[in-house]
Parts: sequence; structure tokens; C-alpha cells
Amino acid sequence: MTPPTAPAAAPPLWDPRQVSARRSLSLMALGALIGLALAGYALFTARGTTTFHVPAEDVALVNQQPIARADFYAQLQATFGVDSAHTTPAQRRRVLNDMIREELFVQRGKELDIAATDPDVRTAMVSAVEQMAAADAVTSQPSDSALQAYFNAHQDRYAQEGVMSVRDLVFAQPADAAGAARALAAGAPITATLGRFRGRDSGREAAEDFYFAAKIHLGAALFAVARALPSGAVSPPFAQPDGVHLLYMARNAPPQPFAFAEARAQVLSDYRNDKVKRTTAQYQGFLRQRANVLVAGDLR
Amino acid sequence: MPTRKVANLARRLWMKAPTRASLSWLAWIGAAIVLAWGAAGLVTSGRTEAQLVRGDPDAIPAQAPLMRFAVTHGAGVFKARCASCHGAEGKGSSARGVPDLTDADWLYGAGKVSDIEKVAYYGIRAHNPRSWNLAVMPAFARPVPAAGERLQPLGPGEIAAVTAYLQARGGQAADPAAAEAGRRIFAGKGGCYDCHANDARGDPAIGAPNLVDKVWLYGDGSRLAIFDSIAYGRQGMCPAWAGRLSALRLREVSLYVFALSHRPGPHPDMSRP
Repeated sequence: MTPPTAPAAAPPLWDPRQVSARRSLSLMALGALIGLALAGYALFTARGTTTFHVPAEDVALVNQQPIARADFYAQLQATFGVDSAHTTPAQRRRVLNDMIREELFVQRGKELDIAATDPDVRTAMVSAVEQMAAADAVTSQPSDSALQAYFNAHQDRYAQEGVMSVRDLVFAQPADAAGAARALAAGAPITATLGRFRGRDSGREAAEDFYFAAKIHLGAALFAVARALPSGAVSPPFAQPDGVHLLYMARNAPPQPFAFAEARAQVLSDYRNDKVKRTTAQYQGFLRQRANVLVAGDLR
Repeated sequence: MPTRKVANLARRLWMKAPTRASLSWLAWIGAAIVLAWGAAGLVTSGRTEAQLVRGDPDAIPAQAPLMRFAVTHGAGVFKARCASCHGAEGKGSSARGVPDLTDADWLYGAGKVSDIEKVAYYGIRAHNPRSWNLAVMPAFARPVPAAGERLQPLGPGEIAAVTAYLQARGGQAADPAAAEAGRRIFAGKGGCYDCHANDARGDPAIGAPNLVDKVWLYGDGSRLAIFDSIAYGRQGMCPAWAGRLSALRLREVSLYVFALSHRPGPHPDMSRP
């Protein structure tokens, strides 16, 4: 008769050198529990899911729609003119209630599709969506090489305005105007020349002006003549309905292009504005592409 | 029982060379400690983040642990999102019209965390309905100085006069007659007082710079730089990060920027002339 064998000793639970079914099951259970806990946490805190927990960055959830803490503080500041540390609980309650009320009415407005009938809401929505599309475009910072390329492609935009100081003299007779032109070219003073040749100053240009202002004051025809005159030059006489004109150019400084470094801030602004326009156009194209637009037969 | 096992293990480790079994126990205990430490770190960090986001932004700088946490994390956000314009040190560039965030001069608001945070959220002229967008510097050497504003262009002499006035107010040498003419334009035809205030000290509620301190957003305060600002206008822009960065990241970077200008030691002299 063989002696009864002693039952085999169970392998130590946490000795990694030996296989243990109990350890495997324990670790699997632990893993499952951790997985469930993580899934539960994510399920009840993820944005867009129903939750009874107000996220730290919000002050309230109205039908799961958050009211941001930052907006709450800004509203407190705007309403009472003090920072949040100096507001009373009553003031906080009032602002919170106002914000909850606003959110409720906005949600109701969406349910009632107010935008379909109220032109102000429609305008505001169009503007808000346009701005949202544009905001995406301005967030990225273009590289210096991109700005330089833009500057090179649009260099005509980046110049100092030209400056001129010109006198517009008017004479009754062409012969007087011709004599005055010769005298001025020889260096005679304007006042004396006007007296000698019975002329007058039209008064259109009294002081130094930017080109665009001089063009408005002189008119396109006279400005075209003036622009071509170097400093100290006198134009040939030319007839206008009110008499024969002479232009005396005291100083003419044509537009000087800015260097890239001087214009960089403006280039960046223009670059972004162009990008905003392109992005908005693309956005509109995308919306049209995915929309089902039916146009009445008589307007096709 | 487990306590006795751990005590026995410790005794064995202390008394003699460890066996394979004791080493495996040690490995399990080490792993448990690392796990527990990681979990505790996560919980603590999550709690700190919640405190940071829930707290009154202007009260946080007084809470050193929160501030340390925010500044450490905010530095990364600043580097990724803001340093491309403001520079890694936050010093900005007057050549590019980018403000220095390390001094005590604030263009918008008073430099409180909530003011900084508003800029971080909604930007400046950032095509966001809530961004700071109340004023631009008109270009007085253009036919229409500012779209939507009833402003007349100024002549070169008038711009030079306003330049002289501002230089005189800033303590620089300027022709007194030109400065007086410039004062009249500033307070009249130019409409400069409307944004920069009658005393030219600006208005932080609309981001109009103080023109009589020693801080220049664009250029160095030279005649040419001031003339160009008046003649060709300025309209800087700062992107809006609301919706792109979480409330936590925005709070962290705002506190980091606040910390940049509140380092120990004296600030550059911003005294009025």
C-alpha cells in the first residue's frame, strides 16, 4: 500500500519564476477594474456627454451647455466694475443667474429657429461665422520668408507717400504766362513775377502736400504735369478754362519704397488680411459645395 | 500577514545576501511603489489643475504653489504659441510693434492676470467678436486715414508738427512753434485726443498707448518713427486662443506672462517725464 501523497503545494502567488493561475486571474481582474474606472471617468467627464459634474473651467452647465468661468469673471467685471475678489456673493449670484437666463433664452431661440425670421439674428450669425473662419486664418504665424515673398510681390503698396510743394499760377494771356515761365526759370521771385506779368496764384496749393492731396487740389490734369516736374522747375504754360496756368515746383519728393524691415508690420497685417479673404472665400465654397441649393427656374 | 512577510523580507535583506525569492518580492514592492507614486501624482496634479482653473485669476499670484505649477506649465505653452512673435524671453520687438511683456507697461488693461487672460482668450483685432478691437491708429498720410471714421488726412507739415509736440512732451528737443501747432492739431483736427486722451497719456481701456512715457511700441521715439506712425498708421494683432487652447492652458500661460513682468528686482524706469 502506497502512502497517500501529500497534496502538491500551491505555487507562490507573486513569484514571477513560477506560473500561477491565481496571479494571472488577479492581474486580469485588476486590469479590468482599472479599465472600467478609466472608461467611466471619461464617459462622465468628456465634453458633449451628459454629466452631473461641472467641469473646473465652467461655472454652470445649462442643459449640458457650459457657461465658462472666464466669461463669468468678465461679466462680473463688466457689470460691477470690480474684480471678482471684491464682488459680493449676491453680485456673483446675480451675474450667474443672468448668464443662465441668457443661455436658456439662446437655447430656446435655437429651438424656435429665430434666425429664420429675425434679420438681426441672421446678420449677427453671418458675421460670427465669418469671423470664426477668419480667426482660424490669423492664428498661424507666417515665416519671415513668406512675408518677404509677399512684400516682393506687392512692393508697390509699401512706399512713403510722395510730397510736393507746388504753386499754381494763372495768367490771362499766353504771352504773359510764357514771360513768367522764363522769369521764374531764371530765378525771379514768385511775387515779383506775378506782379510783372499780371498773374495770380490760384490758391489751390498753399503748403506742402502729399501726392494724393495735391491731386485732389490741382485736379488730375494739373497733377499729372506737376508730378513730372523736378524741384525748382517751371512747367510750360497750358490753357485751362479759367486762364493759362504755370506750375512752379518748389520741392518734389516722389514716393520712396519702404525697406522690408520698415514695412514688416504692415506686410504682416496685409498678409493676414489677404489670408482671411481667401479663407472666407474657401469656407463659402465649402458650404456651397455641401449644400443642396435649388434656385427657381426664372432666376437660374 | 503581509506586514510580517515584508518585515521578514527586510530582515533577510539586512542580515544576509538576498535570495531570488526576496529579489522578486522586492521587484513587486518597487512596482507597487512606482504605481502608487504615479497615481498620487496624477491625483495631486489633477487637483492642482482644478484649483488653478476654478480660482480667481487675480488671486492666484499670491498662492506660491499654484503659481509655481502654472508658471512651469505655462512656459511650454508660451514657447509653443507666443514666442514666435514675443520672443523666447517675452521681450517683444519695437521694430515689429510687438510689446515687451517683461516690463510694467501694459497697453491693454492694467497687467492683471484677468487682463492678460482676456487677451489670451480673445486676442487683439483677431476677428473674434470679443477681441479688443475698439481702435486703430489711423494713417493720416492716406486719403482715408481710418475706415469708418470721419477723419481728415493731415499734411506733411501738420504731421511734423504733431511729431514735434509729442517729442516736446517726451522731453526731447523740438521747435516750440511747431510743437504748439502740433498741440492744436492733437486736440483738434487730428482727433488724437479721442484715443490718446487730452494729456496724451493714452487709454488702456482701448489699447491706446501712452505717448509721453519712455515706452514706444513702434520704433525708438525718434522723429522719423513717430512721423511714420502718424503718417502710415498702426494696427497690431494678437491671435485669439479661445477654443484652440483649454481653459487650463490659457490660465497657465496668462500666469506665466504675469510672472514675466513680476520678477524680483527693479523694473525699467517707466516714470513720466
